Amino acid sequence: MSGQVPAYLVEAVLFVSARPIGLPDLRSATGLTDEELLSALSGLRERYAPGSSGIVLREVAGGYLLSTNPACAEAVERFRREARPTPLSGAAHEVLACALYLGPLTRGAISRVRGVNSDAVVRSLIERHLLAEVGTDREAPGVPALLGVTEEFLSATGASSPEDFPPVEALVTQEELARVRERLVSPDASLSDAASEPS
Amino acid sequence: MTQEPLGRSLADFTVELDVYSGPYEWLLALILKDELEIFEVPLRELVESYLLARKPDAANGLERDTDFAGSAAALILLKSRTLSPALDADAEGMEDEPLSPEELAERLTQYLKVRRAAEHLKERFDANAGHYTSAHTIPPRQGRLSVKQDRVVLAARQAFSRLIEPPVRHLGPITVTLQELAGIIRTALSGGPVSYERLTSDMDRMNSAVAFAAALSLAQEGALTLAQHEPFGPLTLEPSK
Repeated sequence: MSGQVPAYLVEAVLFVSARPIGLPDLRSATGLTDEELLSALSGLRERYAPGSSGIVLREVAGGYLLSTNPACAEAVERFRREARPTPLSGAAHEVLACALYLGPLTRGAISRVRGVNSDAVVRSLIERHLLAEVGTDREAPGVPALLGVTEEFLSATGASSPEDFPPVEALVTQEELARVRERLVSPDASLSDAASEPS
Repeated sequence: MTQEPLGRSLADFTVELDVYSGPYEWLLALILKDELEIFEVPLRELVESYLLARKPDAANGLERDTDFAGSAAALILLKSRTLSPALDADAEGMEDEPLSPEELAERLTQYLKVRRAAEHLKERFDANAGHYTSAHTIPPRQGRLSVKQDRVVLAARQAFSRLIEPPVRHLGPITVTLQELAGIIRTALSGGPVSYERLTSDMDRMNSAVAFAAALSLAQEGALTLAQHEPFGPLTLEPSK
C-alpha cells in the first residue's frame, strides 16, 4: 500500500463497513495520523458530495459512514428487492422522544409521560434496533430495564450524538406552555379545553 | 351460489387504511399477533369501510353483519385496554389519588414537549430516509467481543422471567362463598324481582363482585333472569318463570 494517497485508505475501510467508524478505529486501521485522517476525510467529503455522487459520506453516531445517496434509493430498493421500512407511527416517535430527551428511562416511565401503555410500541422499536435496554434501575422495585436510543437511531436521524438534537425547550414556545398552565390552574379553567390541548 | 367457508363470512371483505391495506381477516390476525398496533387502526374508518362494502341482500348478510359487529366490538375493547395505563401503581410510583390542577398542568406541559420533540424527530427521520449502507457484514473478531455482566444478567432475566402476577393487595378477604351468596339471592328472589344494587347495598366491593358471579351462575343454570333495559342501567334479578 506504499504510495497510496491516504484518502484511499480511509475510503477502503469505510467502504466495507455497514456501521459508522470513529476516528480511533480509522486511525488504528489505516495507521494515519489525526491530521492525515482529517485531511483524507475532508477530501472524501468533497468527492462524495450529494449533488454529484451516488455514494455520500455521512458523519453520524460518532463516526463516519458511506451510504447510498437518498436520490438513488428507489434504484437500490428495486435491486435489493426490498421495500423501504414502514414509516414510524406517531406513538413510536413519542416513545423515541421520551428516550432521547428524558432517558434512559423505564417502560413504566415512558407510559407515565405519554399517559397510555407504551409496551407494544417499545417492543416494536427494540425489534427495529432504534431503542435498546441500556441498563437497569436498581433503585426501583423489580429492577426494571432502562431504555435508551441506539446507534441505529442516530444514523437514521442523521445525528452524530444525542447532543445534536435541539433542546426540548426550543421546540415548544413559552406561550404554548403558559396556555396549558393557564387553562388548568386558573380558577375558571375548563378542564375539557385543557385536556384537548396536546392531542 | 357459493357458500363462504364456515365461520369466514368476512373472507372477501378488504380494507384500505393508512396503516394497512388488504383482507380484514388478516388485519385481525396482525393485530392479535402484535404485528400491528391496535391504536394505529382507525376503528371509525374501519366501520365506515364495512358499511360501504355491506351486502344486506346477500344470503349470509346477517351472518356477515354479526361477525363484523362482534369483531369490531372486540377491537374497541382491545383498543381501550391497550390505551389504559395498566401499570402496577405501587411498583411504578403511580398514584391513585386524582391529580391537582398544578400536577396535571405539569404533566401536560411535559407531554406537550414530548409531542413537539416527536414531531421534530419525524422530520429528521424523513430527511434522512433512503440511505443504504454496505451490505458487507464484518465478522466479530476473537478477543474483541466483550460482554458486560449487566447485559448477561438482563438477558437471563428476560429469558427466564415469568409473567408478573397482577397485584391483589388492594382486595379484601372473601368472607362468603358462592354457594352462600346463591342462597341469599334465592331467598331475596322469593319475594319477587330484586335490584342488584339493593341486593349488594350492605356488601363491600369484593363480596359485591362475588354476588355478581353467583347471579351469573344462577342465570346460567336457569334459576333466574338478569334484566338490564339500557346500557349501564340498573340490573334486576328476576325469578325464572
